[in-house]
Amino acid sequence: MKLRTTKYIVKEGFINTYRNLLMSLASVGVVTASMIILGVFLVIALNLSYNTQKLKEQPQIQVFCEPELDDEQIRTIEKSIKNDSRVKKYTYVSKQEALKKAKEMLGDDQDVVEGLGDDFMPVSFIVELNNLKESQNVVSAFKSIQGVGNVRYSQERIDFILNIATWVQVGNLALIIILLAVAMFIISNTIKLTVFARRKEINIMKYIGATDWFIRWPFIVEGVIIGLAGAAIGFVAISIVYGILWGKVAEGVNIFSLVSLGEIQFNVTYTFVLVGIGIGAIGSTISIRKYLQV
Amino acid sequence: MVEFRSVTKEYSNGTVALNDINLNLDKGEFAFIVGHSGSGKSTMLKLILKEEDPTAGEVFVNGYNVSALKRKEIPYLRRSLGVVFQDFRLLPNKTVYENVAFAMQITEALPREIRRQVPMSLALVGLSKKANVYPGQLSGGEQQRVALARALVNNPALLIADEPTGNLDPETSWEIMKLLSEVNYRGTTVIVATHEKNIVDSMKKRVIAIDKGVIVRDQEKGQYEDEVKNYKVYS
Repeated sequence: MKLRTTKYIVKEGFINTYRNLLMSLASVGVVTASMIILGVFLVIALNLSYNTQKLKEQPQIQVFCEPELDDEQIRTIEKSIKNDSRVKKYTYVSKQEALKKAKEMLGDDQDVVEGLGDDFMPVSFIVELNNLKESQNVVSAFKSIQGVGNVRYSQERIDFILNIATWVQVGNLALIIILLAVAMFIISNTIKLTVFARRKEINIMKYIGATDWFIRWPFIVEGVIIGLAGAAIGFVAISIVYGILWGKVAEGVNIFSLVSLGEIQFNVTYTFVLVGIGIGAIGSTISIRKYLQV
Repeated sequence: MVEFRSVTKEYSNGTVALNDINLNLDKGEFAFIVGHSGSGKSTMLKLILKEEDPTAGEVFVNGYNVSALKRKEIPYLRRSLGVVFQDFRLLPNKTVYENVAFAMQITEALPREIRRQVPMSLALVGLSKKANVYPGQLSGGEQQRVALARALVNNPALLIADEPTGNLDPETSWEIMKLLSEVNYRGTTVIVATHEKNIVDSMKKRVIAIDKGVIVRDQEKGQYEDEVKNYKVYS
């Protein structure tokens, strides 16, 4: 395609959007509404996966050594943890730290351990795994290491988190796909109205020898303009509302923490731009097909 | 220029619009196709424009074997001819100038060519002063002249007019016919489908009469109605 044709097509797309201003605005409204709904799902999805991720990252397995082991023996245990390929990272908890934690936990009843040295406290390792699904095997492996007194982990909790994570991912994907399909249907219908209103023009263009693409492109440009405009308004709305919400949640103490506004905006921006262009272009192409058969 | 070889056209509902038509038009000719509505003259034009395909036979236009043309090649056939319709078919959202320029834009013509050709074409039909007006603000005759300017802007070798005066009053009709004559005089082959007796009779051009899908008469300097045929009817 020649440059002057491209210029003509883009210009024509803008002119047409402007000439059918009312229709264009109606379409922008529909796109905006769909985008806001999509944005809400996206925000929920992002926050859920952010929080599951955070839960997952919390220490799940703690390996306790026998209290009477000497440094050499502890180092051997540490080595076997370190060399295990399934371990993502581990933290060393010394006797002193263990005692401090115990005191913290006891609170007012600290006198129970008063006078006792840290000698009776076990050294332990907090272990994080690459894949939570392997925890059962890892735990039994660690238990069999000589000098390991106990391995603490919560199978139920891990299973629960794993379940939620999968469920959230699948559920969100399904919702987003359904929503995209609905949005595209609505938009292609709206553009169909524009195309229908101008079927005569399309017909005339065909009669004087315009190629299909020459006719199609300005409509696609129009669709993309509408899609992007709707996406832009939707983006602003989501940003403002999320900004307010984020401020409110950040004030209080919550187990559930929110993804930062910046990250939301980044994700929403590229999704909206892609979706806006995509539904605009595909919607136009679908709607115009019928009228090109002359 | 235009050739029909044993062309038959049967529509899917069973109507036979054309029945074994043979026709040959040379370069520079001016021909009327006459007949009642439903006689098959519109179908002939549709076959020339490849709006329809013949059921049997072949159609040649401007060196294109129209019946064998692929869908993608249709625009190029149509660009090689100028077409004028009864209902003008102008783009309502474009000015007179833009309407004419559009026919050149689709051929990806140079802007400098467009700026040169469009005013020339508008001058030919006498509408230079209305270049920036929208079609809705023009009279029927003026709109048809815009359509004619658009049809001629790419200098087609063949001009096809389907009932060009069907929506116009007699006086305006004559203006259009004069313009068509002039275009023909400059060397363009012109085919006009019409059922306006007055015009056909006074122009004294080739007349091809169609009735029930068959060419019943093909006459140089012909009349709308055939005296001989009428004589036979009454004898």
